[in-house]
Amino acid sequence: MRRRLPLPFLVLAGIGAAFVVLPLVALVVRVPWGSAREALSGIGASTALRLSLEVSLAATAISVLIGVPLAWILARVAFPGRALLRALVVLPIVLPPVVGGIGLLQALGRRGIVGRWLYDAFGIQLTFTTAGAIIATTFVAMPLVILATEGGLRGLDDRYERAAAALGGSPWYVMRRVTLPMIGPQLAAGAVLTWARALGEFGATITFAGNLAGRTQTLPLAVYQARELDPGGAVLLSLVLVFLSLIVLIALRGRVTGAA
Amino acid sequence: MKKAIGVVSLALLLMTAACSNNSSTSSAGSTSTINVFAAASLTDAFTKIGDDYQAANAGTKVIFNFGSSTDLATSIGSEGTADVFASASGAAMDTVQSAPGVSDRQNFATNSLVIITPPDNPANIQSIKDLGNPGVKLVLAADSVPVGDYAREALKNAGVSNAAMKNVVSNESDDAATVAKVTSGDADAAIVYTSDVAAATGNQVHSVPIEDQYQVIATYPIAVVTGGANATGASSFVAYVMGSAGQTTLRTFGFGPPPTS
Repeated sequence: MRRRLPLPFLVLAGIGAAFVVLPLVALVVRVPWGSAREALSGIGASTALRLSLEVSLAATAISVLIGVPLAWILARVAFPGRALLRALVVLPIVLPPVVGGIGLLQALGRRGIVGRWLYDAFGIQLTFTTAGAIIATTFVAMPLVILATEGGLRGLDDRYERAAAALGGSPWYVMRRVTLPMIGPQLAAGAVLTWARALGEFGATITFAGNLAGRTQTLPLAVYQARELDPGGAVLLSLVLVFLSLIVLIALRGRVTGAA
Repeated sequence: MKKAIGVVSLALLLMTAACSNNSSTSSAGSTSTINVFAAASLTDAFTKIGDDYQAANAGTKVIFNFGSSTDLATSIGSEGTADVFASASGAAMDTVQSAPGVSDRQNFATNSLVIITPPDNPANIQSIKDLGNPGVKLVLAADSVPVGDYAREALKNAGVSNAAMKNVVSNESDDAATVAKVTSGDADAAIVYTSDVAAATGNQVHSVPIEDQYQVIATYPIAVVTGGANATGASSFVAYVMGSAGQTTLRTFGFGPPPTS
């Protein structure tokens, strides 16, 4: 049976859809297809794409490595200040990335509170390096995998884990063989979202790591620099990012949106 | 379904009408506004000039949009909301002059280049030639930005272009971002405008002069943008910048007088 929807509701939904879709359509319409090849090579698109993949994948791996244990603690261990810590670790989602970049400079820059020591003791400078770009990107993207994993753990029926423990499974064994497989889908969705966010990271990276082709200039930074002298190339490169992100979301097959 | 589409388009129409209505009342109200698009390097000087101008012309509001001149020139072409354009390069002004067009174009200031380093000068930069020394972490504005272009020209003049380009660790989006990389202490050196050093407060940076024979002088043009909403206000603001009050302020902020030709 077809349900009838109230008309004003349809109207608002239509405006909502048009609002999101219009800029994307405009990108497709305005792409200089004829000169696409020259435009992309002129702004070093392949270098930026390769670097973007490296940086975003590394940031995702680090996010999973340190974010999942953190989510675990937040979900399972009661300790004073847990609510505050939970708020702090997801803060980068709502923070302007440039603020994150400035914070990272104060912490890990050559004169930062930790970075000063890294530089003086080991001669390590993170700013202006690919490692710096990975750190900035991780800072911004990691909260997504933390949120997803913590949500999965909280929604878990802990009887399975208790049963496994009662049958003699060590905590590490229970974690690996029972808990992780059960929250696998949420963890995977969180990791993919983290990767998508990492791919689009701009503000923290340019503020903390700078902008140099082949070293710190990821796709979004290349788009930003190209927009001045080569707006057509910027449009083209934007479209590359749109499609990469779209593929990620489609690959998640509704896990993010909740649809089947 | 057809009806729904009709209502949607009507609603969109109403929304856009309401929005455009809003903006036109604000510019045609009792207070007149002058939209000035100006090079990022002019931020401090023009903010002061704007305050002085508003004080001298009650009921007029000067709204600034500061950014890289190249970037501003592009957005003037596509948005058409500027009354006045003050550029750090003739090339960016040429872009606006060809479309949408300008009138009353004249040079109003010059700016020279200077090397800045962190206060302790970690790479021991004494001359522009030292920027080619191995291992110097050099930050420049991107070559699409006027100051980045001028800086590359100066390095070429000094004959250290190749070596210095290998030392570049970041291409920044404007001179303010370039200065920030030095004040944070992460870059060893940068080439920016003399006016940027006047703007950087206190002793956050150490400046090293560029020898006269390698120096590049930037000439700043200003003009009334054709098709702006407030042509009268625009001409009056341009006249104010060219006048003694405007010129005195520019001098205070490290700008040189316009070339006499």
